[in-house]
Amino acid sequence: MLDRPLVVSGELSWLGGDRLQRRVEHPQQETSTIADGEVTQQREGRSPRHFSLKRAPQLQVLLDSFVALLGGDAARLQQAFEVRQEGDARGAWTLTLVPRDARVAKTVASIRIDGYANASRCMHLQEADGDLAVDLLGPLAARMPAEPTREALQALCQSTP
Amino acid sequence: MRRGARAALLIGWLLALAGLGWMVSQRLHVSTDLRSFMPAPTTPDQRLLMEQVGEGPGSRLLLLAIHGQSDAKLAALSQGLAAALKKDSRYSQVLNGSFDLGALDERLLPYRYLLSPTLDTQPLDEVYLADQLQQRLDDLSSPAASLLKGLLPRDPTLEVLQLAERWAPAKSPQLREGVWFSPQDEALLLVQTAAAGFDPGAQQQSIDGIRQAFAALPGSAGATLEPSGPGYFSVVAAAQTRQQADWIGRISTAGFIALLLLAYRSFSSLLLSALPIASAALAGIAALTLAFPEVHGITLAFGFTLLGVAQEYPIRVLSHRRAGEDALASVRTLWPLLLTAIASACIAYLAFYASGVNGLKQLALFTIVGLLVAGCSTRYLLPHLLPRRVHDVADMRWLIRARTFVDRLPRPRWIPVAVAAAIVAMLALARAPLWQDNLAALTPLPADLLQRDARLRQALGAPDVRYLLVLEAPSAQGVLELSERLQPQVDALLARRAADALELPSRYLPSVAVQRARQARLPDRATLQRALDQALQGLPFRADLFQPFVDDVQAARTLPPLTPERYAQTPLGQRLAAMLVPRDGHWLGLGTISGVHDLAALQALGADTHGAVRLLDLKAASESLVVDYRTRILQALAAAALLLVLTIALALRSLRRAWHVLAPMTLATFLVLAVERVAGVEISLFHLVALILAGGLGLHYALFFERDTGDAAEQRRTLHATIVCVLSALLVFGMLAWATIPVLRAIGLTVSLGVAFHFCLSILMAPHARQD
Repeated sequence: MLDRPLVVSGELSWLGGDRLQRRVEHPQQETSTIADGEVTQQREGRSPRHFSLKRAPQLQVLLDSFVALLGGDAARLQQAFEVRQEGDARGAWTLTLVPRDARVAKTVASIRIDGYANASRCMHLQEADGDLAVDLLGPLAARMPAEPTREALQALCQSTP
Repeated sequence: MRRGARAALLIGWLLALAGLGWMVSQRLHVSTDLRSFMPAPTTPDQRLLMEQVGEGPGSRLLLLAIHGQSDAKLAALSQGLAAALKKDSRYSQVLNGSFDLGALDERLLPYRYLLSPTLDTQPLDEVYLADQLQQRLDDLSSPAASLLKGLLPRDPTLEVLQLAERWAPAKSPQLREGVWFSPQDEALLLVQTAAAGFDPGAQQQSIDGIRQAFAALPGSAGATLEPSGPGYFSVVAAAQTRQQADWIGRISTAGFIALLLLAYRSFSSLLLSALPIASAALAGIAALTLAFPEVHGITLAFGFTLLGVAQEYPIRVLSHRRAGEDALASVRTLWPLLLTAIASACIAYLAFYASGVNGLKQLALFTIVGLLVAGCSTRYLLPHLLPRRVHDVADMRWLIRARTFVDRLPRPRWIPVAVAAAIVAMLALARAPLWQDNLAALTPLPADLLQRDARLRQALGAPDVRYLLVLEAPSAQGVLELSERLQPQVDALLARRAADALELPSRYLPSVAVQRARQARLPDRATLQRALDQALQGLPFRADLFQPFVDDVQAARTLPPLTPERYAQTPLGQRLAAMLVPRDGHWLGLGTISGVHDLAALQALGADTHGAVRLLDLKAASESLVVDYRTRILQALAAAALLLVLTIALALRSLRRAWHVLAPMTLATFLVLAVERVAGVEISLFHLVALILAGGLGLHYALFFERDTGDAAEQRRTLHATIVCVLSALLVFGMLAWATIPVLRAIGLTVSLGVAFHFCLSILMAPHARQD
């Protein structure tokens, strides 16, 4: 759909429970909140948009994986995904999550999280239609290239800090 | 009559009944639409009411609540049920809050530029497109991306979403798991049935269909589905009434049989005396099936009640038989009186026929045919079959004592005067309103059902069933244009919170004029392509991504404007069809209103439109309809009363004797009315029907008591017959008086009181006993 990748930067915070907030600062200010099964999107100078989480399976997956990862809830992770772990828990590791729900799998093919020791560094959301969303987390976020390519991001994620 | 001939007669009679029964079973179509029991409407509002009561958007709406499971499971059930019902032609609209792009038919998608008001203020130029595309780009990086991605190439300005928002109920309930939920954690659905709201039979089928679809869903076992709404209420009310009438009917039938066995101590007499009644009922229904394409359920229920008068005919024959006398001989002596009674009853029911109400016409035909058949078969057939040997009731000891007691009762001449004075005093004292005009009060619903309905209605923002804004114009387009002109005023009213929501027809379909104006504003292919190319500069979208959008705009420019007829095949078109109805070469638009706060402001809406726009209060219209109805029945009754006086006077060939028959009957009728008034009972149509029935019975008592035979034994037989009749009527209707459904109670109480008063007054005012 797009000729070149879309780059946004901001903050993703876990508000506890099933609540997640995503604040985008660049290129456009926007705050999205997932709470109580509903997504609220607030953009500067516009009225907020609401929609149900059910209608955005991609977000449900994101929420499930984030909350389970951040909360250290292995059972929840196992329930929603087929989990595959590679690498070294003290060095570089990769966690691959494949949604168990067939309906969800129609939009989200898999989630891959790259990390080093006890920190997650990148999150790759592979959509079923071939689109890929890559989130650089923590210190890596500052190193987002201006004109990113899949290959460059791949290298960045798997580099040693 | 010889034994062989009797057997032949009996078999012939039974065969005739079987034949009638077969014919009835082949031809009888019972309708349950309550409207055929309402009077023909005269004012435009009343006519609209009659249509709206059945077909109106509000009355066809069922509100469904599903509870008893986790939110996620309830949401899945809600989605499953909505999907199942959308495929079923019994339901014209199913809403559960889930966002449904399918609401606009695929083929109609290009029409979005003619339906949506966005482009009225905003041309599809470079500036607008650039702003929209930038927003879409932001959307793609936002959580809404997966939601909108599919729409983007064809609809970058998200016109479809604008329309979906515009068509969503004005005040939506909370969305959870993608579907509507009430604050009480129930998943909510709105279903509009194709069937009329006040047709309990058709509504029953619609509700059964919903229950079946729900039960077929996986995981529905642990959850509960609760419907509400006018259609469901009509089903509940009909079922409740039938249930009570059934068990009361069973008990009183058993009692009635026991009473007759006790009175005549003969099984064969009992069975044979059932034949005239059975013939009456079958012949009545057969006549109805010949005269009307459909017979109303209420006609049958009331008709059987009114035929209760006919049970007196065989009772009189049985009681008046003398030992050793041929049954035929005793019938011959009774016949003049019976004939007078039958003729008078038929005249009274003719008044119903003159009322002009379809249901009452049916009732009149059924009862008149029934009474004539019962009377004639009692006179010409029954006596030939009755057993020859009977014991004469006149010799029973208790009866002799009873007759002596009755004869000794003081019969002062001032009794009628005293009773009349008492009636006048009671009527003057009564404080309660005289008439009960609220039809709903007669079949009240359990309070918890009404509370739930109010709660769901509020949660769903469902329209009020009471008020409608009526827009009138010579054509459908005229109505839509009127509706568009009215919209700003309505918006202002809503901003002032005069009502929670007011939906006009133009919300779903703009007029052709507006659609053409929007078409004229759409750019041609080259202009649009140029604007799009410029807007895309600096944005990462693929250059040919928006080709479907350009194609759609081009298609929209040359489309024939969407008319209600073309729109009708889509789900939304059906919603519109309920709001846009043709009437005698005119068209009416119906605006639904929810949460009325300021009635006066809504009424003022149409003040300077000369009636083109007006607020219709369906409750007021229904009450005015009932008042008209009652006026007609009262007029018909007055005419019937005059005819009755003439008939009795002619039959008895004496005004004095006619007075002795009619005076107790009239006084007793008014006495019932006075007693009920003092007791605070508001008089409804059903009370009037019951008074007529009691009057018919009272006429029999008075006629027979007035008869001077000069034979003490015959007087005792008269007393016996009357006591059996009174007791059986008290048994049947006294039981009804205990019912909790007001309709049944009204009939039971009125007839029981009536029978008692008629009996007492006709004994006390019988002329010859006083002369003894």
